Amino acid sequence: MTQQMNKKEQTILQKAVMQWKTNPLFSTACVLVLMVVLQTLALGFEFESFGAWFSHWSRNWINILRNNAGVGIVALGMTFVIISGGIDLAVGSTLVAVGAVLMVCVNQYPDGLLTSMGITGVPAFAIGIIAAMLMGCALGSVSGFLVAKQKLPAFIATLGMMKICRSVTQQVMQTAGVKVPTQFLAIANTKIGGQVILPIIYWLIIAVVLHIVSKKTTFGRHVFAIGSNERTARLSGINVEKVTALVYVLSGFLVSIAAIIQVARIGSMDYANAGSGYEMDAIAAVVVGGTSMSGGKGSILGTVFGMLIIAVMNNLLNLMGVPPFLREAFKGFIVIAAVLLQKKEKNS
Amino acid sequence: MNLSMKGIVKSFGANDVLKSVDFSLQEGEICALLGENGAGKSTLMNILGGVLPADRGTIELDGKPVTFASPAQSLGAGIAFIHQELNLINDLPVYENMFIGREIKKKSGFLDHKAMYEKTKALFEKMDIDVDPGAMVSSLDASFKQIVEISRALMMNASIIIMDEPTTSLTDPEIERVFDMLRTLKQQKVGVVFISHKLREVMEICDRYTVLRDGVMVADGYVKDTNTAEIARHMVGHEVTSIRRERTKEPGAEVLRLEKLTQEPYFRNVSLSVRAGEVLGVTGLLGDGRSELFRAVFGAQGRYQGSILFEGKPVTMRTTKQALDLGIGYLPRNRKENGIIKDMNILENGSIVTLPRLLRHGLIDGRRQHEEFDRQRRELRIKMEREKDSITSLSGGNQQKVVLAKWLSANPKLLILDNPTQGVDVGAKEEIYDIIHRLSEQGVAIVVLCSEAQEIIRLCDRALVMYHGTVRAEVSGETMNEHEMMRLATGG
Repeated sequence: MTQQMNKKEQTILQKAVMQWKTNPLFSTACVLVLMVVLQTLALGFEFESFGAWFSHWSRNWINILRNNAGVGIVALGMTFVIISGGIDLAVGSTLVAVGAVLMVCVNQYPDGLLTSMGITGVPAFAIGIIAAMLMGCALGSVSGFLVAKQKLPAFIATLGMMKICRSVTQQVMQTAGVKVPTQFLAIANTKIGGQVILPIIYWLIIAVVLHIVSKKTTFGRHVFAIGSNERTARLSGINVEKVTALVYVLSGFLVSIAAIIQVARIGSMDYANAGSGYEMDAIAAVVVGGTSMSGGKGSILGTVFGMLIIAVMNNLLNLMGVPPFLREAFKGFIVIAAVLLQKKEKNS
Repeated sequence: MNLSMKGIVKSFGANDVLKSVDFSLQEGEICALLGENGAGKSTLMNILGGVLPADRGTIELDGKPVTFASPAQSLGAGIAFIHQELNLINDLPVYENMFIGREIKKKSGFLDHKAMYEKTKALFEKMDIDVDPGAMVSSLDASFKQIVEISRALMMNASIIIMDEPTTSLTDPEIERVFDMLRTLKQQKVGVVFISHKLREVMEICDRYTVLRDGVMVADGYVKDTNTAEIARHMVGHEVTSIRRERTKEPGAEVLRLEKLTQEPYFRNVSLSVRAGEVLGVTGLLGDGRSELFRAVFGAQGRYQGSILFEGKPVTMRTTKQALDLGIGYLPRNRKENGIIKDMNILENGSIVTLPRLLRHGLIDGRRQHEEFDRQRRELRIKMEREKDSITSLSGGNQQKVVLAKWLSANPKLLILDNPTQGVDVGAKEEIYDIIHRLSEQGVAIVVLCSEAQEIIRLCDRALVMYHGTVRAEVSGETMNEHEMMRLATGG
């Protein structure tokens, strides 16, 4: 009887090991669960009631998720870019450029672009949001054009765009006085169930949509095909240039949503520092989530997990009192560990 | 230096590649090493070059027995192997390339550029070579690169040079230039082994020839005592009676017509026509340009001159998407690089071409995708376990069928098959032949690109033989036999 039990347990264990080795999503999920358990332990249980503990725990979680919603959305776009075999370093700077366009549009000072034309309130917000999205797509399409049509290495093309976007934005905006109307902040700050969770909801919806796009649309599957074997993709009648360019447009578009959320969250933008390091944080999330830097393999769900792993780890380090300077080191460690793990899988 | 190889035996597993082969080369002699693909030429030369060890047999240089455990040892004994893919670094000047790995250094440890430059210059003057030692290798044309590579061998005191199909990627004037170099080598008492398929070139430049067939030396002698027809006969051996295709229906309307299609340096002035229900073979040897020609038809080869007519209408092929929309299917050569997507499963590999036709409300309809693929799976008898398995879990033959399936589900009017049975076992080969036959009966116009004469005879109604980018002749019926095709393909 016990022997039989052992046998059964063994096969489950073996199955788990197999899954761990072959399915990056499974191993990422395992690590995430482990992190959450550690984090829960670190949070402690010294509360008078379960209710008090739960409210503390959930508030901590809402904080984590909300703080990472912006980068999280950017990382979703980055996932497509990396699966296609490219990289997008311009996301952080694009965020600033898009944010500037948005703020100019919704500016409530009387000499503001739209205000001076008599457009205020919701119509101005709508124009601002659409302009921001167009700007994101336009900047993405420049990168896309350079990579897909001009055959520049993605690293170089987007590095150039990264420098250009931030620098031009800072120059143009240095004298512009802008103020975001408080009504605009409702886009991200409206409370639901007493909590500010709108950014989390946006993130979630976009993740679900992009998950479906990656699995169930020709565009999504073509991105995988191109990343895995561009030559075969081309010889299968896929318009490789168009799909590759669209990947960068999608990334730019998602950056614009992150920018809108960020502006609506805090009502301002620091053009020198906002979004800086987003590209690396997004790449880290994508890589930790099991997407291969050489393209062709990966998933949206994995990136969400990857983002959460890094976020929870940060939170954990915070709870444990690790000095802030050291936290980045842990981030670096987990990225390297994740890729080493994936490499092992490939070899075995 | 005189070379003599005796009784060389080499097998890979159960496959006997060389069965006691003798080969010799005198000082200052150019000897052609001939044979069909798989005859054992490369293996023999790899043994001489120290790349592979021989199972049995002896190698003697000037009567002294030698053994080579590595290419370096072989090179040390004065034997240089110049491979088809040249071993030069494009972004370094010629003189640095001449000394790669054996750089001349000053006492200080820095490179002595001046010494290397002067030595190179001295050698070029001696060999009457018109190349600036300071020029970048990337700025040289293919023939001068070849010449630099030969000079490097001389710089290392090579007295025997093995050249593997050196003229494949050269134009006629470039070939002449390399031949001039070979003539100078002769005067300098250097021996050359000239591996080639091009009998006309062999007649022009070589003194002697050796023909291998199935790992045995079947003929050797002086070039002046023979002719191309005789050599071609030795290469092919006695003719195997091949099964010929029997067509039940007359071909229909013309599907594809090419008029004077040209893309330098790959193909020139190619005109041809294929009708519905017809199987056209296009054959030739390595570097004949047939693959590039039909990649151009499929819109994957860039700009070309001349015109392509599809179903009577002139079309300008720019993209593969365009070809797909017209109804052209294309099974590329080198399945691993061009045919399969290794990170995708069997089902996805089999439906990647037709995804846009499987949409419902903008999303891929998984059920229809499955049904469509399953229909092809049954029709092509693909042996597999689950559709979600990795494509790489299948055997070569079944992988090829999946690649075929992805095109068949698009219902092409013209199907281009480049080397359709590459890396496919015998059983699956027969099945693929049957499939091709069946498709042509259904009225699909089919072009088969292949260098194996047996396969062309088996599959095709008629065949074009290409040589160096041009169509030399059309063969059909009685003239479509192995000897005739070999004669045409070798330029004889």
